[in-house]
Amino acid sequence: MPLSSPNKISLTEQPKVDEIRENKRKRNDENNPSPLKRARELDDPANMTDSQRKPNFSALTTPNNGITRHSSPLSNNKPGAAKKLVIKNFKEKPKMPENFQQETWRKLCEAVEAIHKSCSIRYSLEELYQAVENMCSYKMSANLYEQLKLVCEAHVRTCLEQFKADNSDYEQFLKLLDFCWQAHCRQMIMIRSIFLFLDRTFVLQNSTILSIWDMGLDLFRANVISDKVVEVKTVDGLLRLIERERNGEAVNRQLLKSLLRMLSDLQIYKEAFEKKFLEATDRLYAAEGQQLMQERDVPEYLHHVDKRLNEETERLLHYLDQSTKKPLIACVEKQLIDQHLPQILNKGLDNMLQENRIGDLMLLYQLFTRVNHGQKDLCSMFAVYIKKAGRMIVINNENDPDKDKEMVQKLLDFKDKIDNIIDVCFGKSEKFVNAMKESFENFINQRQNKPAELIAKYVDSKLKAGNKEATEEELEHLLDKIMVLFRFIHGKDVFEAFYKKDLAKRLLMSKSASVDAEKSMLSKLKQECGAAFTSKLEGMFKDMDLSKDLSLALKPYMQNLDVAGLIDLTVNILTMGYWPTYTPMEVHLPPEMIRYQEIFKKFYLGKHSGRKLQWQPSLGHCVLKAQFPSANKELQVSLFQSLCLLLFNTGNVLTYEEILTATAIEESELKRTLQSLACGKPTLRVLSKKPKGRDIEDGDKFYFNEEFKHPLFRIRINQVQMKETPEENTSTTERVFHDRQYQVDAAIVRIMKTRKTLSHNLLISELFNQLKFPVKPTDLKKRIESLIDRDYMERDKDNPNNYHYVA
Amino acid sequence: MLLDQFNFHYISGWTAVASWRWIANDENCGICRMPFDGCCPDCKLPGDDCPLVWGQCSHCFHIHCIVKWLNSQQVHQLCPMCRQEWKFKE
Repeated sequence: MPLSSPNKISLTEQPKVDEIRENKRKRNDENNPSPLKRARELDDPANMTDSQRKPNFSALTTPNNGITRHSSPLSNNKPGAAKKLVIKNFKEKPKMPENFQQETWRKLCEAVEAIHKSCSIRYSLEELYQAVENMCSYKMSANLYEQLKLVCEAHVRTCLEQFKADNSDYEQFLKLLDFCWQAHCRQMIMIRSIFLFLDRTFVLQNSTILSIWDMGLDLFRANVISDKVVEVKTVDGLLRLIERERNGEAVNRQLLKSLLRMLSDLQIYKEAFEKKFLEATDRLYAAEGQQLMQERDVPEYLHHVDKRLNEETERLLHYLDQSTKKPLIACVEKQLIDQHLPQILNKGLDNMLQENRIGDLMLLYQLFTRVNHGQKDLCSMFAVYIKKAGRMIVINNENDPDKDKEMVQKLLDFKDKIDNIIDVCFGKSEKFVNAMKESFENFINQRQNKPAELIAKYVDSKLKAGNKEATEEELEHLLDKIMVLFRFIHGKDVFEAFYKKDLAKRLLMSKSASVDAEKSMLSKLKQECGAAFTSKLEGMFKDMDLSKDLSLALKPYMQNLDVAGLIDLTVNILTMGYWPTYTPMEVHLPPEMIRYQEIFKKFYLGKHSGRKLQWQPSLGHCVLKAQFPSANKELQVSLFQSLCLLLFNTGNVLTYEEILTATAIEESELKRTLQSLACGKPTLRVLSKKPKGRDIEDGDKFYFNEEFKHPLFRIRINQVQMKETPEENTSTTERVFHDRQYQVDAAIVRIMKTRKTLSHNLLISELFNQLKFPVKPTDLKKRIESLIDRDYMERDKDNPNNYHYVA
Repeated sequence: MLLDQFNFHYISGWTAVASWRWIANDENCGICRMPFDGCCPDCKLPGDDCPLVWGQCSHCFHIHCIVKWLNSQQVHQLCPMCRQEWKFKE
C-alpha cells in the first residue's frame, strides 16, 4: 500500500529528530531562557516535567505535522532513501565554577532570609529558580534541602520567643499567633516557589522526605505549637472566645476560623482542640439544660434548644472543622434533649396538646426525632394524653344528659384535632396513627353502651329532615368521620339497635332528609361490619319499597269498590323480624277509619294468605284539614294527634278524662300528644289548656283555639314523643343484652362441638376471644348452666370443672 | 258527616302502619324447632324469603323444611306431625 510507506519512514526517523530537538531546546534553555516559558514552568511545573520526559509522538498521529515534516530538510527525501546522521560529542566538556555551590547557596540563603524578614529580594526570582535547578542538576539536592530546613527552623524558633515573652490578654495573643501563622504560610509558599524544582525532583523521589510545604508545617508544629505554654494558651483562648460567643457576644469569627484552620493544617485539631472543646460544650449545656428546665416552661425551653442547635450548626459552617459536626451536635442533643426527655413530656406535652399549639408540637417532634427513644417516648405519652382527655369526654358519672348530648360532637372535634396534630406536627407517622387508634378504642369503650347509643343518635339527628346545616357533601364527609368513631366501638350491636330504632322512625314518619344519605350510611355500615349486620336494616328499606307498590295497587282497588272517599290511604307493612318490636296498642278510631282498615285488610290478605295484620296506631300519621275562623289549614300530625283533634268536632271544651276515654290512647302517650297540641310553641297551639302550664294533669280542660293564626297553609306539628322515653331506652338496651345471650349460647355450642371436652377456664378464655362485645364471666357461667339444663353439654362426672359436648 | 259546624276537621290523608306475621297453629316449626316468626336454619332473614306452607292436615312448616323432609321420604310422602299423606293446602 503506498500510503503506509511514509509512516514507516517517519517511525524510524522520529527518535533522531526528537533527539536533536531535545538537545537544541536544552541548550536554548540554559543560555537563553524565554521569559514566557519560565513563567509557565513556574506556574505549572508538572506540565514542564511531563513534556521534558516524553518525546513528542503526537507528530505520528497528527497529519498536519506530517505535512510540515515533509518540507523539512531531514524528511523531504523520497521514501526509502534515508540518510545517516552522525552526532558528534562536544569537543570540550563544560566545567563547573569552583565555588559554585557556596555561591549559589549564599544567594538562595540571602533570598530566604529576605523573605523571612519580609524585605525585597535582591535577585530576580527567575535567577533563583535557575540556581535551584542547577544545584539539583549537579546532585546537590540533599544538601540544599538540609540547609534550607536549617534556615527555616532557625527563623521559626525566633517566632516562638515572642509568644513566650508575650503576656498580653488571650485575644491579643491569638491575634499575634494568627499573624505569625499567616506570615509563615505566606513565606513558605514563596520559598516553595523558588525551591520548586527541588520539591518536584528530589523530594518526590524520596518518599521519606517531607515536601517543602509540609516541612514548613512540621517546623511550625514542632517548634511553636508543641510548646506547652503556647498550645495551652492557644486552645484556652479559642475556647474562651467560643464561650463568649455562646453567651451572646459578637467575636472575631475570622480569627477563630483562621486559627482552627491552622490547627487542622498542623493536624493537631483533634487531640489539642476538639476533645477539650467537646468537654467544654458538654459542661456548658449540661448546666444550661438543668437550669433552664427549672426556670422556663416547656415551649420556651424547646425554642431555646432549637436556637442552640442552629447556633452550633452555624458555628460549624463558619469556623469549626466539619469532622466536629457529629460529636458536637450529638453532645448538644444529649445534654439539652435526651437528658430531659421525661421532664419535657411530663411537664409540657399535655398543655401543648390541650392548647393545640401546632408550632410548638412540630418543634417538639423535630427535636425528639433527633434522639434515641425520643419518638417512642413521645408516642407513648401522646397515647396517654389521648386516653386521659378522651375519658374526660366519655365518662359521665353524674349521668348529666347535657354532657351526653355533646359527647359525640366533642369526640369528633377531638378526633379532628388529634388528626390534625398527627398530620401537621408528627409527620403523619404511622406509629402515632396507630397509637391514636389504640387510645381511642381504649377510652371510648371505658363506658359501656352509652357511646354507641349516642353515636347512633347523633347520626339520626344528622339524617333527619329539617337538618339544613349541611350540604350533601358535608353530610357525607360527616358520616365518614362518624364511621371512624364507630370503628372504635366494641358494642356494635348496641349501635345497631339504636340506629335501627331511629331509622324506623325516620322511614315511617317520612322524616328522612335524603334517601341517598341513608343508603350511603347503610353501605358504610355494611362495609364495616359485613352484610349480616345490615341485612335487617336493608330489609326495612325493602319493606318500604314493597309498601309503596302496595299503595299504588290499592288505589284502583278502592276505586273499584267505589269507596274512594275522603281519605287517601297508604299503609306501610312491616315484616316483624326486620323492625324494632313495638308494643301493640288498641285505640278507638272513628268508624270511617275502621272501615278503611277493613278494606285494606281484605285487600292485603287477598294477596298474601296465611298472614295476619297487626295495626300499629302509634306509628301512623295523618294530614288533617282544619278550619279555623281565620283560615283553613292543613295540619300534618300523628294519628294520635288527629284522634284528639277530631274529638273537637263535637264540642269546644273537653276534659282530659273525656279525651282519655274517647280515644283509649295509653296515658303517658296521650299526655305527650296533648302537650304537643296545647303546650308547644305559642304559634303552633291548636288547643288551649286550662289551667295553663307545661305539664298535663288530670282534670285539665282543653279548648279549641279559635284565635289560631299561622302564616303557612301546611303546618307540621311535631310530636313530643319524638323524644325518647327512658323506658324505650332501657328496653332497647335490654333487647341488645337479650340478643347477646343467643350469641353467647351459639359460641359455647360451637366451641364445645369442635373440642368435645374442655375445662371451664379454657372454655371461658376461648369465649372471650370469639365474642366481639364485653361480657362478664358470671354471665357466661349462667349461659353454661342454661345449656347444661337444656342437654347441650354436661359436666364430667369426676371433675366438675370439665365439660363434655352432648351430641 | 256534619259539615255545618265551623270548626270541622277531617282527615284527608292517612299513612297507617301495620306489621304482619304468619297465622300458624303453633309457635315453632315442627321440623326445625325454630319459631315461625323467625326463619328456617338455612335462611338468614324471616319474611317473604322464607315463607310458611300449610298442608291439608292443617299442619304448617317452613317451606324449606317441609320440602327437604318430603325429598328424604322414599315411599310415602307423609306429614311429619300426623303421619297423614302430605298435600299442600291450596
